[in-house]
Amino acid sequence: MEKINNPYRPIEAEVLEVITETPTIKTIHFKPKEPLSFATGQFVEITIPGVGEAPFTPSSPPQEKETMQVSVMKAGKVTEKIHELKKKDIIGVRGPFGKGYPVDDFEGKEVLIVGGGCGFAPLRSLMYELFVRSGKFKKLFFRGGCKTPKELVYHDETKDWAKRKDLDLKLTVDAADSSWKGNVGVVTTILDDVKMDYKKAIGVVCGPPIMMKFATKKLLSMGFKENNIYLSMEKNMSCGIGKCGHCRIGTYYACKDGPVFTYGQIKDSPEIWD
Amino acid sequence: MKHITLQNLARLLDALKEDYRVFVPVKKSESANYPIKKGAQRFYKEYDKFSDDIIIGEVRTFEPLKAFFVSAREKVADDFSPESPHSKDKPFALVGVKNCDLKQGFKVQDYVFGNHDLKDPFYIKNREENLIIASDCTSTLDTCFCLAAGNQPYPEENFDINLSPVGDGFIIEAAPTRRAQKFMDKYHSLFDIAKDYHLNERKEQRQRVVKKVEENIKENNIPSYDTLKDDIIKKNWESNVWLDESKTCVECAACTIICPTCHCFLLYDQKDKEKMERLRIWDSCMIKDYARVAGGANPRPKLWMRLRNRFEKKFDFFPKVAGFYACTGCGRCISACPAMIDIREVLTRLVKGNGKNK
Repeated sequence: MEKINNPYRPIEAEVLEVITETPTIKTIHFKPKEPLSFATGQFVEITIPGVGEAPFTPSSPPQEKETMQVSVMKAGKVTEKIHELKKKDIIGVRGPFGKGYPVDDFEGKEVLIVGGGCGFAPLRSLMYELFVRSGKFKKLFFRGGCKTPKELVYHDETKDWAKRKDLDLKLTVDAADSSWKGNVGVVTTILDDVKMDYKKAIGVVCGPPIMMKFATKKLLSMGFKENNIYLSMEKNMSCGIGKCGHCRIGTYYACKDGPVFTYGQIKDSPEIWD
Repeated sequence: MKHITLQNLARLLDALKEDYRVFVPVKKSESANYPIKKGAQRFYKEYDKFSDDIIIGEVRTFEPLKAFFVSAREKVADDFSPESPHSKDKPFALVGVKNCDLKQGFKVQDYVFGNHDLKDPFYIKNREENLIIASDCTSTLDTCFCLAAGNQPYPEENFDINLSPVGDGFIIEAAPTRRAQKFMDKYHSLFDIAKDYHLNERKEQRQRVVKKVEENIKENNIPSYDTLKDDIIKKNWESNVWLDESKTCVECAACTIICPTCHCFLLYDQKDKEKMERLRIWDSCMIKDYARVAGGANPRPKLWMRLRNRFEKKFDFFPKVAGFYACTGCGRCISACPAMIDIREVLTRLVKGNGKNK
């Protein structure tokens, strides 16, 4: 049979490690058997053989070319199977698809990253990309929130990030327990001390739709420009190449035109937060 | 201009079987096949030998042509193998194809599957290999409104060979492509010269069918597609048209499955012992779970939102990104709908509507 350039074929990959981040989120570290590199913010489709595939934005540094990580919240048929994965299991991976964060355009500017819950995953990849370019940004802020301290992903890493001189990091939880010393409240409550020239600054927002909606509103009210707010949109991406139709947002497909959009690009499209 | 007799057309189709799987339209009475709607329908059937029920002219088939280019259910990946997941022994030769499928239908399908940075290799292969022997429409259905959508009722583009039924034979015409010229050379002994009266008959016939479609358009008050430019979807976004028109919908998805421009599909994985295979199956935006994401969020939980979305895709998305509407005026969705939802009526209401009637 002839070999073809088949966009629907997954590449075989071996699971190297499964890390339990929170009760509902696991990070899968895997090694594709064919080279596959991505730009931060692009997404891949992960196949559980015989079950199906689902889209994830890698949470690992894009500089790591040999292996990749995705952080997956248990939410449906495929993610349930992903949570059952063990070391040496075989999965499939397709991609990368779409357009990632235009990190080159962030250089020379003040950057505010706002993350919520499972939205930390793409942002972790972005943070490592920004760290590699440390010194090229005027200021770097990270503001993150999740429901409870137990649900905070990348616990040890965020501790290391907090020590960095090139980053101003603050985290919050909706509901604290005895272990939590930080802020309590939704993520928009820890944005007011972010001092920057909002009109020229870059905002990056990633999280559950409701969090993205209110964080975007907040950034707009602070004076951020619509086209300087980058959103990572969660839609039902399937084919990854703008053909199957599922992930359309107005005149865009999240899979090929996104999943990263500026708010200005999609604000007039219906149903963006639903 | 060449001419071919019916007997010689049968010989031609017999000869084509060597290189192609040949499909021809056959006419079936309503009781035998599709009891919901009035009138006989034409269906594609694989050609074996010439029979009386084969209808080259008349009107479009019930099924859209897209089925021969993106199958309703097709294997697109075989485990992790880089080899082609299936091979067709022979390409298709599709006979009696009408212009609604050819012009506007291919415009949309080519845009989706052939024209992005990432092409679909299966579609491209079918487009390159399948042979299209088109035909003029010699009659109309009550639901035909191709002219409003900018299509003539006779082939204009995207065919290899065209047959115009005249007398007891056909004017046979080749598209200006190398493949079509080769075809004409290969089978030249089956053709004679078209006479002036053949050409006159074709001209009159085309005029007659055009007039009939114009009458259809007038009778049903179908707006010209030029009038749709006035942002009719966004203008009517909050209108009660959507709820009204979707009231009888049973969510069967026939309108999208039967549509020559609808292209959505889902990827479906299944396991056979140790191997996985990935299937591509036609999908429909009218189905509730179409845009649902993991965790359950659904941007269009209500049926009327999905009807609105279907029209947005056809009459807002496509003109904005590609410069043309995703509707051919073939009327298939009208005849397929068990709930009598009529695209002509919806469009008329949208053009008249000012969006304030909610």
